[in-house]
Amino acid sequence: MGSYHAQAMANVQAALQELRQIVGKDGVLDQPEELLVYECDGFSVARATPTAVVFPRRTEQVAACVGALNRHGLGMVPRGSGTGLAGGCVAFAGEVLISTVRMNQIETIDWGNRVAVVQAGVLNTALSEAVARGGMVVADATPSPGLSLREGEGSKTSSTSGGASGGGLHFSPDPSSQRASTIGGNAATNAGGINTLKHGVTSNHILGMEMVLADGSIMRTRAGSLLDGIGPDLPGLVCGSEGTLGIITRLWCRLVPKPRHFRTIYAVYGSTGQACLTVSDVIAAGIVPTSMEMMDGRMIRVVEEAFHYGFPTDAQALLLIEVDGVDQILDEQVGQILELCRKHGATDVQHCADAKRRLELWSARKRAFGAIGRLHVAYFTQDACVPRSLLPVAIERICQIGRDFGLQINNVFHAGDGNVHPIFFFDESDPAQAQAALRAAEKALEYCISIGGTITGEHGVGVEKLAMMEHMFNPDTIRAFQAIKGAFDPQERINVGKLIPSDKIRVQLVKPLAANVPGGAL
Amino acid sequence: MSKKKSKGKQKQEAAQIPPGSPPTASGAVSGADQGAAALGALVAECAGQGLAVVDYGVMHEGLGNPPPAEHRKLRQNGQIIEHYARDMTVRVAAGAEWGAVQRAMLATGQFVPVDADDDVTVGEAIVHNVYGPLRLGYGGMRDLLLGLHYVDGLGRDIHVGGRTVKNVAGYDVTKLMVGSLGELGVVYEATLRTYAVPEQVIAVDLKLADPVQVDGFVNPLLVSDAAPTWLWMSLHGRAWRLRLAYYGRHSACAAQVRSLETILDGQEDIGMQGSARTTLAQDAAERAAHRRWQRQAPAVVKLVVPPAETGAVCAALASSRDHDPPLCLDALPAHGCIMTGGSLDGAQALRLEARVTRILENFGGLRVWYARPRGAESIRPFGPRQADWPMLVKLKQAMDPKNILNPGRFLSPELLTT
Repeated sequence: MGSYHAQAMANVQAALQELRQIVGKDGVLDQPEELLVYECDGFSVARATPTAVVFPRRTEQVAACVGALNRHGLGMVPRGSGTGLAGGCVAFAGEVLISTVRMNQIETIDWGNRVAVVQAGVLNTALSEAVARGGMVVADATPSPGLSLREGEGSKTSSTSGGASGGGLHFSPDPSSQRASTIGGNAATNAGGINTLKHGVTSNHILGMEMVLADGSIMRTRAGSLLDGIGPDLPGLVCGSEGTLGIITRLWCRLVPKPRHFRTIYAVYGSTGQACLTVSDVIAAGIVPTSMEMMDGRMIRVVEEAFHYGFPTDAQALLLIEVDGVDQILDEQVGQILELCRKHGATDVQHCADAKRRLELWSARKRAFGAIGRLHVAYFTQDACVPRSLLPVAIERICQIGRDFGLQINNVFHAGDGNVHPIFFFDESDPAQAQAALRAAEKALEYCISIGGTITGEHGVGVEKLAMMEHMFNPDTIRAFQAIKGAFDPQERINVGKLIPSDKIRVQLVKPLAANVPGGAL
Repeated sequence: MSKKKSKGKQKQEAAQIPPGSPPTASGAVSGADQGAAALGALVAECAGQGLAVVDYGVMHEGLGNPPPAEHRKLRQNGQIIEHYARDMTVRVAAGAEWGAVQRAMLATGQFVPVDADDDVTVGEAIVHNVYGPLRLGYGGMRDLLLGLHYVDGLGRDIHVGGRTVKNVAGYDVTKLMVGSLGELGVVYEATLRTYAVPEQVIAVDLKLADPVQVDGFVNPLLVSDAAPTWLWMSLHGRAWRLRLAYYGRHSACAAQVRSLETILDGQEDIGMQGSARTTLAQDAAERAAHRRWQRQAPAVVKLVVPPAETGAVCAALASSRDHDPPLCLDALPAHGCIMTGGSLDGAQALRLEARVTRILENFGGLRVWYARPRGAESIRPFGPRQADWPMLVKLKQAMDPKNILNPGRFLSPELLTT
């Protein structure tokens, strides 16, 4: 991989000086030891050192930084907290990282219109916590020069006519990384999570955004409290574009009623196939649970050994299912689901409405990847999605692929969405096995495509899955994606070589070295 | 398909595209594939000739600027290609009409929760972002649409999204197509979420003396156990009516109605007038009948305002001091969407536009004219100008470089000069 802007590197010092003038001396990192932690994201296979990292605090500073980098011929890569899992925020060609983590202001919570305006660097849970606290958040958003307030409504502090006191609303997207990940990053990757089965992914909850384009201009799209716009749905396109179309700096987030009543079901099986059939039948029955998560036998044992929740260690699969809604009717739904669990041979089925037990069960699910980290075995996690009716055959085939390559594969995943996360374990000291793991993962993805699935349900393409894009899409579709990129970034300056192939930057992944993701965000 | 090209005179040939194949267990779609090839060839041919390909749909012919005089009119046919009943998804040809799709789906105990008229095609519903009261309980088209096949302005066959309910591979062009007014591509196939037909529907009528009352009522309602599946406000003559409905099992609906009664106990100005138990099909038919004026009236404008101001805006619209005919008005208070208009002539439509402009200056928001009567052609269909229009024009140029797909309807360089 070569640096496409070798000439421009001569201007690096001049560029850094200009960046320091924009964001202050403490807003730019360029020393090798400072840059180490910015070499990768959660996909640690792909590493590269950026030229520098810059930390703007406002949209106008981002725009000024982009302008400066353009003048000096340097490329740029946007970055939130770096919790991505596909190498999407790594500077592979010596670009400058533009980090949004200091853009962490919740500017407005407009209860009446059920909209929160946040800077891109606000943590997912920070918004949820602010909303849960209720009360008024006063905006300190200074309108950008030349932008119409009426269009953006950016300085409106709160609507008082809506009647909601603040209670009862929340920001719904809940990626497992939510304590660390930024809302801008959630939007850029269209993050999923455990509750997306019923409540949708991030793009379902983003009404509008402000972003800095590759030429340094600021664009607002559907910014405001309106729930509809005129013409094509541009925020829908930008969500999930992995920072390749521009740098998201501010978001208008939809707040929705927070579920108040829950039932949690815990079902244990003697085989993964039986558990998958239960999932398929629940969906086919037209029931829409909040979430339906599955762990296979090895994962149950790993979690049990680490955290002692009391799970049966001889079980081969565990389903965690949750329903939410009107309290009086939840027991009826639970009854339907329990019937399906038993029909498919669940050996132990329990359900609870108890908040403490519920938290404990979900904690087990959320800590699953942390538990793997204790195994001291190299692994990496794949992300694919299949039609839900085909989940039983997909899981069986993926495990068979593992056996064909002599690898241990385990599963903990969002079963209700058909979103599988096979974990490939391998011996890091054995290059052949590391290669086998990569090949097996590729085979698994090819299989998922062949049955109508997709190469990524929530982690994104980044550089990790770039090679699979041509398996997934026909050449005309790839060209269409490139044309869209060209409309936003004709000179290919922002996050080039991610998500869609580029002739400018090509990243070659060799092997999944050091691929452990402690406490991974899945 | 004819290759004739007549210069200097209006040309409106209806190009028929073969329908998608009937549902098959194997998923073979040779019929649809032939349709895609024919559609691609047609668009490529028109691109070569610089001839416009026009499809304004049946419900939205008055939306936006009129097509150029010389164009080829496109009309697609189709039906359900495959219903993945166990996945709760359906793959359908864009030319399929909603009525036929819903009837076929209802027979399987599922439906696609979109408020579209029976003769509107799936493709039209997508590119016009058709929605109604059901959006509250099930989301809008952007939430229901999982995958699309379309032909771009050069006739190239593009497949985005897919059959799975989660998918982040590539750009999410499915959402970009929602509301694109047919200017970024010709959709020929879509995959949509389906939902189970509810056991029953209970529709509840509420009396509402003043529309402004709804602004303080909606949010407490939405966060309560009485949150409805849909909510809708309308003006009948001089009487305001608030209607809502619960979908689900009998016990669930009954519990929600009891919760609603509890909420209404504390309200002086909003009260229950009556409720009726019905079926999904009857409920859909009633709402379709009610909104029929939106297709028949010579003047129709949609306003989108901050949701918390919906009632206030409705009140402002209805409080005209001029002597024009009374307005028809339907509103979705949870979404800030208002459709208004009626039997207005050109001068009356111009006065309505002036009133709408003043209202939007006060409350914020935007408006789109769906139908303008003769004499009101000077009304700009879209406004006020939005900050992202320059980027949308660039996308139009990228996806339809010859500018042949519904050219000038919305996205054009001229748009940026208005």
